[in-house]
Amino acid sequence: MSLDDKFSALRKGLLEFLLLKIIAADKVYVADIISQLRDTEFATQEGTLYPLLSKMRREELLNYEWQESDAGPPRKYYKLTAKGREQLRELTDYWNTINNTVKKLGP
Amino acid sequence: MNKVISIHLHGVAFQLEESGYNALRAYLDKAERQLDGNPDKAEIVADIEQAISDKFRALLAASRNVVLSADVEAVIKEMGPVTDDPSSATSSAKTEPNSNTRASSESSSVPPPPPQPKRLYRLKDGAMLAGVCNGLAAYIGIDVTLLRLAVAILIFFSFGTVAIAYIVGALIIPTAQTPEEKTAASGAPPTTAQEFIRRAKEGYYEGYKTFGDREAHRAWKRKFKYEMREWKQRLRHEYRWGWWARPTPSVPPGSPVPPVPPVSPTAAVPPPSPPDGAYAVMPVLATIRALLLFFCVLGILSLFTTGSLLGLPLPGHMPAWAGIVLVILAYKVAVAPIKAIRRNYYYRLNGWPIPFHPFTEFWLSVLPFFVIVFGVWLADILIPGVHQALLNIPVFLQNASDAIHQWWTQR
Repeated sequence: MSLDDKFSALRKGLLEFLLLKIIAADKVYVADIISQLRDTEFATQEGTLYPLLSKMRREELLNYEWQESDAGPPRKYYKLTAKGREQLRELTDYWNTINNTVKKLGP
Repeated sequence: MNKVISIHLHGVAFQLEESGYNALRAYLDKAERQLDGNPDKAEIVADIEQAISDKFRALLAASRNVVLSADVEAVIKEMGPVTDDPSSATSSAKTEPNSNTRASSESSSVPPPPPQPKRLYRLKDGAMLAGVCNGLAAYIGIDVTLLRLAVAILIFFSFGTVAIAYIVGALIIPTAQTPEEKTAASGAPPTTAQEFIRRAKEGYYEGYKTFGDREAHRAWKRKFKYEMREWKQRLRHEYRWGWWARPTPSVPPGSPVPPVPPVSPTAAVPPPSPPDGAYAVMPVLATIRALLLFFCVLGILSLFTTGSLLGLPLPGHMPAWAGIVLVILAYKVAVAPIKAIRRNYYYRLNGWPIPFHPFTEFWLSVLPFFVIVFGVWLADILIPGVHQALLNIPVFLQNASDAIHQWWTQR
């Protein structure tokens, strides 16, 4: 397994966590999410994002509402549900714990 | 001048160039296949259509109202493949690196692209009837002539079952329309069509880099348009007239654009020029061949209906069927050198080694014919029904021609 593969496996696990974070900050639509992720290691395309968002909605982590936009047809704005907020809290805690462990162990 | 197709995505109407429409159709079909079994399939596809619609609208803001094929390709590339597997969620992030990591990943060893998935399509390019044999041959990777031969023989021995299978295949197997589908049909090396798409994509991304500088962007636009027009013409010629009418790329006199260095290193090798005189000889040969075919068919029909060859009675007591065999054989013999010359030119043009000796060509064209005649003969001896059916053919044709004649005189 090359280093790149290992990184990509890490990113895979974290993308959902990051989506929860982004959506928790503000109501967003997909183009917002894409542009926020664009310059990070987590750059993602619509083709992957839409199926993932729909899976998270099935798990009742998030929901959306239609909102008029000043240009063109209404857009889907995503926001977290109570369950999503709860899961984000747990994930953040867990992330911090892991971070501490990584720092504590080893040289 | 290009045909446009009107579509609507999520309630917004767009006009797309035809090849762009095909590419978009293929992308959305593939997305739907990927999402099969997903309970939210319809919703996700609608989301994706809306995203594409937004991107198209952003492109069209600048005083034009047709979405070009290159635009469609760029948008599809931006959207990325639709993947349902949540475990591969960010794999696309790796294949779509941002511009600074891109150079490094290209200079280092790039992993070979995964083999294209093969699908069964009907291939209309070079098809004889509906392209079923052509597509099947590409799918299993054997020579199409062999397959056609096998099918022709099987039709005799299976009492038409294979013919019915062919018709069913023609009805249910989809036709390969986009370059991607044509590649998927065989995994063949890129044709001009694919090269065209690739160049369009490449040129388009080249253009992104110049967005900051207005003058540079304008220069790119001119160059891109010019290049694409030339490729499009070449492609169209190749489809319509065959290889020999392919125009040699030339700069029109007084063109404001200097000749542009080729985009890719592979294109740096100039295409071999056609052999001298090919432009004059090939149409003549094609005409001669068409005339020969015409007379061959006419001769066969006259033998069937009147028993004489275009008014000339057959020598001795030769039966009509032997006359037909002789006529077809004569046609094959006459056409063999023409075919050999054409193939020879074609191979030379592509810079391939020429594996064909004129005699090979002759046997290649005559042998299948003998096999078919032998097959009919065997069927005639072994299967009683076939014998009767063969005997009825002249009567049937006679009746048919009488009916046509009657209809014609009654008019």
